[in-house]
Amino acid sequence: MRSIDIHAHVTPQSYLSAMKEGRVWHGVEPHPLDIEPQLEWTPEQRIKDMDSLGVDVQIASTGAQFYYYGRGGQEIAAMHRECNDEVHQMTIDHPERFKGLAQIPMQDVDLAIAELDRCVNQLGMVGAMIDDKVNGKTFDEPEFLPLWKAAEQMGAVFLIHQGGGTLVNPRTRKYHLPNTIGNLVDRAVTFASFVMGGVMDACPDLKICLAHGGGYACYGVGRMDRSWDVGRLPQIPQPPSAYLSRFYYDCLTHSESALRMLIDMAGIDRVVFGTDWPFDMQIDWPVSWVLSLESLTQEEKEAILWKNMENLLGISSE
Amino acid sequence: MRSIDIHAHIAPLAASHLPEGQTWHGFTRREMNGRQFLVQGEKRQWLHPAYSLTADERIAYMDSVNVDVHVLTTWVGMYNYDLPGDVGAGIARECNDYVAELTRSHPDRFAGMATLPMQDVNAAVAELERAVNELGLKGAQIADHVNNKTLDHEDFIPFWSAAEQLGALIFFHQEGDDTIVKPRDTKGWAIDNSIGNLSDRVVTFGTLVFGGVLDRFPDLKVCLAHGGGFTCFGAGRLDRGWQVRSEARELGANIPSTYLNKVYYDCLTHSEAVLRYMIDSVGIDRIFLGSDYPYDMGIDEPTGWVNSLESLTQDEKEAILWKNLERVLGV
Repeated sequence: MRSIDIHAHVTPQSYLSAMKEGRVWHGVEPHPLDIEPQLEWTPEQRIKDMDSLGVDVQIASTGAQFYYYGRGGQEIAAMHRECNDEVHQMTIDHPERFKGLAQIPMQDVDLAIAELDRCVNQLGMVGAMIDDKVNGKTFDEPEFLPLWKAAEQMGAVFLIHQGGGTLVNPRTRKYHLPNTIGNLVDRAVTFASFVMGGVMDACPDLKICLAHGGGYACYGVGRMDRSWDVGRLPQIPQPPSAYLSRFYYDCLTHSESALRMLIDMAGIDRVVFGTDWPFDMQIDWPVSWVLSLESLTQEEKEAILWKNMENLLGISSE
Repeated sequence: MRSIDIHAHIAPLAASHLPEGQTWHGFTRREMNGRQFLVQGEKRQWLHPAYSLTADERIAYMDSVNVDVHVLTTWVGMYNYDLPGDVGAGIARECNDYVAELTRSHPDRFAGMATLPMQDVNAAVAELERAVNELGLKGAQIADHVNNKTLDHEDFIPFWSAAEQLGALIFFHQEGDDTIVKPRDTKGWAIDNSIGNLSDRVVTFGTLVFGGVLDRFPDLKVCLAHGGGFTCFGAGRLDRGWQVRSEARELGANIPSTYLNKVYYDCLTHSEAVLRYMIDSVGIDRIFLGSDYPYDMGIDEPTGWVNSLESLTQDEKEAILWKNLERVLGV
């Protein structure tokens, strides 16, 4: 069985060597490296690990630590070009094992569009991974609309993935809750931002994949619908739940019952395979995990593991 | 069929009927845009029109939606944890006396929960003891944090100890729009409420579990409003965090999902699928009827809604509507 992982991270070699050699890298001061050893692996070492996991293709994204939306747009655009060129090289050297998601400088929408265009149309990348927020702004802000429109035209896919803190941080930083709860809160807010901000109505062909199973979006949509029922969301023509099947979600729920609910609410054609390789919050044996789920049919497992992603990317192995 | 509602708010008539120009614990009443507010300094607390109802008028409403008993909690405008402790204690005493009076005058229709000055833990413990032992209230409603301290903070250990000893049910409910999802009022989306309430509740579950409160006080009775928010659905990722991160285990907590059936929840989910998911996650004996009267984000026909759910058995409906609360509160 094939498998295509949309949620797998890369650390650029150019960053690693700059840090090791004590050089400034696109404004990042040299600092001691404290990263997962897998992030220093060569693509060939990575492929060996993918083989052991049964993962055929990684849609590789440079990690969220490289967003740097708070810094100057030009400087970070250059950083992101270097990140994207490295990921592109992986896809050239191993076209059957890697595809790429770009970094784009969201602090400057024009630069972000230009880099997305370069990555998708010149480098053959799939789309981009972006944060839930940009310097405190969520994606309903009108300044981002040209990006969504451009992405829609390119057929680019966005993987939404938090960087830095989440909405939980101001309440508590203890017990890993900013990650274990915060990632999922942020994703529900991003769902709301796209839906309630009218982006999904304005861009009917926009492809958004919400990482971590979309967080609490599907479970919380009943209460969002209640807001719509009582007239608090007059700006959208349908209740929020009607938009669930407009998004894609990875399967990174760490819960069979949560994944089952996601499938039942969003539709089986909307859930793709995502592992969060190589971080500790990943699924340890992701292909085996999906295959082991008794509440999923064989067809549902295949849809998640590879078929939906092939459809989304317009590629076919059959 | 009987029905007992754990999530029904009220305010003392002394506050809702506060005459123009008079003060009530430092608040004055003011009309703005056709709504009545209690005002003190920068604080603006909206008085829902239903808080002007007499007991008989409220009972008439309860009859119209087939609710037998309201377990009364004051509206969260009564928390006032930011005010000095003695002011909070004065408000709490007056709220609790008011609620207790209703439970005495209509014992078959009302039970009551206390309001507590959580900014002063000793005063909160004293008032909880008075409310339970002298006034016959069943427990207390508190917010998900007290001036940004979550309830696992060591300051609250005496509170949890007292609540366990008294057999008091502690009902967690956010204070207005004060959730981790900040208001987007300019856009009117109300996600501070629709997403925020549910987010705050899972943070509370997480802090009580990982902070060791539920281990230290095994007989503690905690109820998480709004169906416990995202708690049940999010348990898998909490478990993974516990598995791989030492900071989640440093206070000795067990696997988080094993605590799901150690707390109680109301059924205020606005989703049959979510309620079914909860029942399957935590067990049917852990879920109470909760309507959020009198707010628009409540359940319009709470008993009618529960009775209409096709994925629940008759036994499950009865457990939610009255049996569980009757057993836990002894009402």
